[in-house]
Amino acid sequence: MEQRTNSPYPKLDRPVLAVIGILLVVSTILFVRSDRLRDFWYYQYEFKRMVADKFGAEKAKSVPSGLQQIWVRDLRHADRCVTCHQATAWKGFESAEEPWRTHPVEPLRTHPPERYGCTSCHGGQGWAVDVSEAHGQMAHWEEPLLGSELGEAYSLVDDKTALMQMNCNVCHRYDRETAGATAINTAKSLIKEKGCHACHVINSRGGTIGPDLTYVGDKAPEQYDYSRLSGQRTAFAWHVAHFKEPRALVSDTVMPNFHLTTREAQALAMLVLSWRREEVPAEYLHGAPRTDPRTPEEARAEEDMKTGPGAWFVKTGCFVCHSITAFGVRSPAQIGPDLSIAVEDVQARFGKTIDDFLANPTGTMSVVLSRQIILSKEQKAEAVKNLRAAFAEHQKQAAHK
Amino acid sequence: MRKQGDAHGALTPPSEAPGVHPKPLWSFRPDSDRASGDAVVSNFLLHWFPAKALKASLDWNYSLWLGTVSAALLLLLVLSGMPLLFLYVPSVERAYATVKDIEYVVTFGSWIRSVHRIAAHLMVAAVALHLARVFFTGAYKNGVGQGQRREWNWVLGVGMLLATLFLSFTGYLLPWDQLAYWAVTVGTNIASSIPWIGPAIRELLLGGRVIEQPTLIRFYVLHILALPGLLGILFVYHMWRIRKDGGLARADREALLAEKAATPPAATKTYTLLGIARGTAPTIRASSLARPDASVNAVPDLTRRAAIVCLGTIAVLSILAVFIRSPLEEPANALVTPNPAKAPWYFLWLQEIVTDTTVHIGAFTINGAFLGGVILPGLLIALLTVWPWLDRSPAGVAGVWFARDRRTQNLAFILLALGVIALTLVGTFCRGPYWHFYWPWETWPEIPARI
Repeated sequence: MEQRTNSPYPKLDRPVLAVIGILLVVSTILFVRSDRLRDFWYYQYEFKRMVADKFGAEKAKSVPSGLQQIWVRDLRHADRCVTCHQATAWKGFESAEEPWRTHPVEPLRTHPPERYGCTSCHGGQGWAVDVSEAHGQMAHWEEPLLGSELGEAYSLVDDKTALMQMNCNVCHRYDRETAGATAINTAKSLIKEKGCHACHVINSRGGTIGPDLTYVGDKAPEQYDYSRLSGQRTAFAWHVAHFKEPRALVSDTVMPNFHLTTREAQALAMLVLSWRREEVPAEYLHGAPRTDPRTPEEARAEEDMKTGPGAWFVKTGCFVCHSITAFGVRSPAQIGPDLSIAVEDVQARFGKTIDDFLANPTGTMSVVLSRQIILSKEQKAEAVKNLRAAFAEHQKQAAHK
Repeated sequence: MRKQGDAHGALTPPSEAPGVHPKPLWSFRPDSDRASGDAVVSNFLLHWFPAKALKASLDWNYSLWLGTVSAALLLLLVLSGMPLLFLYVPSVERAYATVKDIEYVVTFGSWIRSVHRIAAHLMVAAVALHLARVFFTGAYKNGVGQGQRREWNWVLGVGMLLATLFLSFTGYLLPWDQLAYWAVTVGTNIASSIPWIGPAIRELLLGGRVIEQPTLIRFYVLHILALPGLLGILFVYHMWRIRKDGGLARADREALLAEKAATPPAATKTYTLLGIARGTAPTIRASSLARPDASVNAVPDLTRRAAIVCLGTIAVLSILAVFIRSPLEEPANALVTPNPAKAPWYFLWLQEIVTDTTVHIGAFTINGAFLGGVILPGLLIALLTVWPWLDRSPAGVAGVWFARDRRTQNLAFILLALGVIALTLVGTFCRGPYWHFYWPWETWPEIPARI
């Protein structure tokens, strides 16, 4: 074997390598620690304790721990708010401090969390699990938590929690009035009252003197001119000031001063900022028509069917298969024979009177009358009466011709 | 076995050198002693390091170990990129959300992403510094060894710098946030300023005329497949050439000095790696390497130092990644331009030149993008590439920091580098909204929020 040379290196290099080994261990501890140390452990620990105090240790065991989320597939929201706000669905913590407070039950009845998540109404950042970031108080996140703290900051007149109504109006923008959204409702009536449509296009209707406001809520905060605005420099503050005195912010504007109160200006600012191009599935859009379009004639014919002499057949459901031409009732399916001539027709087909046939139906009608349209004795008598009336009408019309 | 040194002079290549293998591949099941010897000798992975290393090449203050640092960072990038591959979805609808998930709910996700991002930035810096070191020491110059092609290894190095820059740039787009979208907008608009073919190049890069899904998938495939593959191949070739060229340039200088000391002619060694070399193999005169006072065994002295550098890089980066979180801006929005829209820091000197050479004369605007974004960097890269052939200094200065014979070119390089650094600093710290100049201690106008 070759002779090893005398190396001068080990004396210094070995301790250096040892120090780096220690550094590696330290770095491992650091990154594991930073990953494990999360605010939510404390909130979950406290909530478990509160449940144990109130309902006993057994119940406390059912409180989940670790990351929790509500995944709303339709909206592609993963809201992890429930990691800390664990009490939302629990009874008995109505007066507890946040984040351990029970969510008011009433709004959840119409807006179940599994269909809406949390952030669609409350704002904030559902992805995040650290307090300030989840509440949207960070750079590069433009959806802050729309809570009373923010309302205080804007000194909202009366209801400090009203900012949340901006998010209501994402789905409810085509409603004339939305229950509970008082500020938005006020603003909507102001829009009508002051005639905003005269100058502005809103939802594809209106004049062209002012800019189109349909999606004005999407205008980036950087795109406003704040040079003449004092105080908070946000799009919301700009709109409030602009509604109160348009000329103060835009010197050459032709928009008149409507002498709005602060409350009205704030409500209008909320409304216009809610007009955004949000991608909401159609079934979430309240008030938007989602039926097949009908011509006025079709609508009138349908109305006549429902209120005319044939109304009983429509109400009972006979018209699904049978037309009653004598009464102007037209079946959408027309599977069965016209009931105008049933009195004659039944006799010809089955050799029975209409009364006998309804009492002891045969063939298809025996199935229908035993499963789909079940009639009592009185109802059957009414049916016979109506059928006779229809036949009489038919004969009258035939004689006329 | 015939003694090589006797039959041929120390400088003439041996016609039949031992170890020059007739077969291109070795066998894992050798059937003779010769074949088993070949299997060991011709395996590159077993010859990453030589058996003995010159003490001078191991010095901290000669190479600064910047190449090893770069390699360690590349290793970290590959390792941290693997888990990200499982987590990230390259789709415009989902990319941003998956990065948010990596940040907030994936175990160690935020740290892994920071390791990847910081390593990418530092690798650009380390590779650039490595290039500067090689330039200042004239290490692209051939010395006394035979079959040396150090100038080509320099060209490979320039190629690797470009690959590193493009890797970093393609990675920039993937989070699909405002930073990504607008950095890529700036970058590809510069490409489109080339006369005649510019718009076509932009369209090729973007996979269309706007930054959309085709752009994202292009940048993604370039980032995870094409560019790492290219860099990997260049890297292996780079390392192989170092051995073929007889080690660091400093080794040749040691040999020259030894020659002056009139050591008797000694045995010649030839090397072949991966068994690829045919015919004449590079010959390194063993005289200097054989001197017991000038060299040490590679194991453990060289490997220990390599371990110090690699593990040290990993440890420092790992700690940095705990404290420096990676930013993620608003989701990409083609309608809102962040103000100022800045390119990544290593391109900021170019963006600075682009804006400084954009001249408004009356209603006319002469766009600086072509000059600052294409001509100037193109010229610099071309000059860098051919520099070893322009450098006429004597062979003896290879491996010497700031050699007197290379004073002018070192000075020119320093001035250019200082210019680039100054422009980068101005671009990074002194440019605010509308690219207006602000001193670092001046506050920018407040960025407004929505609500």
